[in-house]
Amino acid sequence: MKRLLRPLVNGIIRENPILILMIGLCPTLAVSSAAINGIYMGLAATFVLAGSNLLVSLIRKWVPDQIRIPIFITIIATFVTIVDMVMHAYAPDMYNILGIFIPLIVVNCIILGRAEAFAYHNGVIESLGDGIGMGLGFTLILIVLGGIRELLGNGTLFGFQIMPSSYKPVIIMILPPGAFLTIGFLQAIQRYRGGKS
Amino acid sequence: MLTHFLLLFIGALLVNNILLIRFIALCSFFGVSNSMSTSIGMGMAVTFVMVLASSVSWILWHFILVPLHLEFLEISAFILTIAALVQFVELFLKKNSPSLYRAMGIYLPLITTNCAILAVAFINVSNHYNFIESIIYSIGVSGGYTLAIVMFAGIRERIASAPVPKAFQGYPIAFITASLMSLAFLGFKGLFGL
Amino acid sequence: MGERFYVSAPPHIKSRYDARYIMHQVVIALIPPTVAGIIFFGGRAILILLISVASSVLWQRLILYIKGERKPLDGSEIVTGLLLGLNLSPLVPWWIPVVGTFVAIVLAKELFGGLGFNIFNPALIARAFLLVSWPMEMTTWMFPYGATQATSLTQATPLTLLKLQHTYTPYINLFLGNRGGCIGETSVLALLIGAGYLFYKGVIDWKIPVPYISTVGILALIFRQDPLFHIMAGGLILGAFFMATDYTTTPITKSGRIIFGIGCGIITILVRLFGGYPEGVSFSILFMNAMTPLLDRWTIPKPFGYKISGRSV
Repeated sequence: MKRLLRPLVNGIIRENPILILMIGLCPTLAVSSAAINGIYMGLAATFVLAGSNLLVSLIRKWVPDQIRIPIFITIIATFVTIVDMVMHAYAPDMYNILGIFIPLIVVNCIILGRAEAFAYHNGVIESLGDGIGMGLGFTLILIVLGGIRELLGNGTLFGFQIMPSSYKPVIIMILPPGAFLTIGFLQAIQRYRGGKS
Repeated sequence: MLTHFLLLFIGALLVNNILLIRFIALCSFFGVSNSMSTSIGMGMAVTFVMVLASSVSWILWHFILVPLHLEFLEISAFILTIAALVQFVELFLKKNSPSLYRAMGIYLPLITTNCAILAVAFINVSNHYNFIESIIYSIGVSGGYTLAIVMFAGIRERIASAPVPKAFQGYPIAFITASLMSLAFLGFKGLFGL
Repeated sequence: MGERFYVSAPPHIKSRYDARYIMHQVVIALIPPTVAGIIFFGGRAILILLISVASSVLWQRLILYIKGERKPLDGSEIVTGLLLGLNLSPLVPWWIPVVGTFVAIVLAKELFGGLGFNIFNPALIARAFLLVSWPMEMTTWMFPYGATQATSLTQATPLTLLKLQHTYTPYINLFLGNRGGCIGETSVLALLIGAGYLFYKGVIDWKIPVPYISTVGILALIFRQDPLFHIMAGGLILGAFFMATDYTTTPITKSGRIIFGIGCGIITILVRLFGGYPEGVSFSILFMNAMTPLLDRWTIPKPFGYKISGRSV
């Protein structure tokens, strides 16, 4: 159990992909205009991440070094295709909102990066833990970001009106500049509290 | 006809700038832009690969995947095409044009995971562009990428020697800068009805 | 013992032309447009301008206190506050200039290292931020002397009248300031007086404003619009002489400045004629601010006889 938990927790806090490792940015900014988007995107990515880490770790002893990247990519692409189809079928509204960023999970630096940096060199249980952990860390940031942007830019959280009706939403928060701004400040806070740079 | 292409180009270059408005390819944006030379190199590499990859994936889609009803292979097929293409380009450059290889060859492996290349391949399909439109669109997008990353590099080099507050040094201020650049690009919204 | 080492804040070489002096001159130059704005828009204008300047100073003091810096204030925050106020409609809610000055002082200036290190013009960043965040509040205009018209208030500036109703405003109104708009942009006459003062004192030069304004005029002609209208309408005169000439955010080299001006002109006209917003001055200057490091790089004058072996820059 510990072999599972340690990399899992690591992925959420100490080596959080967005704040610390600075990978997986593209979908982060794009889908974080509302908190609920963050949950769906995060879970989709976590599924792919866990699955691909697991599979890569399983077959790592038989994968020749030269062609490992295309093999990783094929594995990841397969999982992404599954997620894509499932979401298209069971959550079509969210599918349309997330749009192009679901297939883009394939090139999400986090997934290929973890396959290369961790799953290729570690045991199956640990890799699964790492995959889930990184995925959850990613999801967490998406929710936080989405929450901040939605709250300030729309007055709502998960669709519920939180801010009083006299609040004039800061529309820029749900637009691109607001996304960059929020991450910049989150990172600065992290840095100020002594996070690893 | 010409205006249609021009609008397509300007839309991709400025109005819907791939980096600052559509948020695609950000990892490379922040990772490579701390120096001007790497940014220019990356821009060149992205342009080259994007146009090539768009064409090849378009042909693949229209002449193989669709006729054989293999649309569900879109994701896998495109990404593998791009990866293979990048490998070929790298080998080709290494052998035939060492100076060009030195200029941009090192960025090529990074480009495989460049979201923008894959994204453009997808968009060409979902927007039902014909072949010429795909080419123009990818030139516009890669132009927008190069413009944004080179502008960003210029600013980052200037910031590097400024007394930025410690908590903001490095990536945080880079994000703030991107935010303000994005704000400036918002001015193009609605240009020519795009 | 303390008197032996006189540790004072820079500058240590005392010259007439320090930051404080220049800020002084800019404030003086802004007096005519300020007065004009108050004449035309009354008490509302005084209120907004006061809030803007006061909150600007407050934010500046606060951020310096947080940073732990003990710099004497150099007046730049007064200029920022005043410029932002002049760039607002007189009808904005009181909290708009407060938020705006926060964005200008903290976000656009201090985070980048303070005066002299900012990349973007702080007042314009604030204006763009406010416009994008609260479009309704930022585009509610009034006609001078509190006069209202049958048409809705949001169409009360010459540029919006042109874009949405294809109506031209008479030259004399544009020139004197008898028109809707931001507090400081309406009276071309007052602005030109202020700009003239800055030229006379040597604070600004022609290399940015003249190319900027000429480009707008020439492009307007090419697109078969009235060049004089476009030069006098909107925030062009205010922007070209007071915002696009900011030292920190514009190129250093001569050719760089000219290119800067031309670039601003092109974008301004494009946005005005073909874009979604009725006015493009703020965005064009901000975009060119971002280009400035590149412009400086590419227009570095080469020393005589200098040649990089075989390769051109």
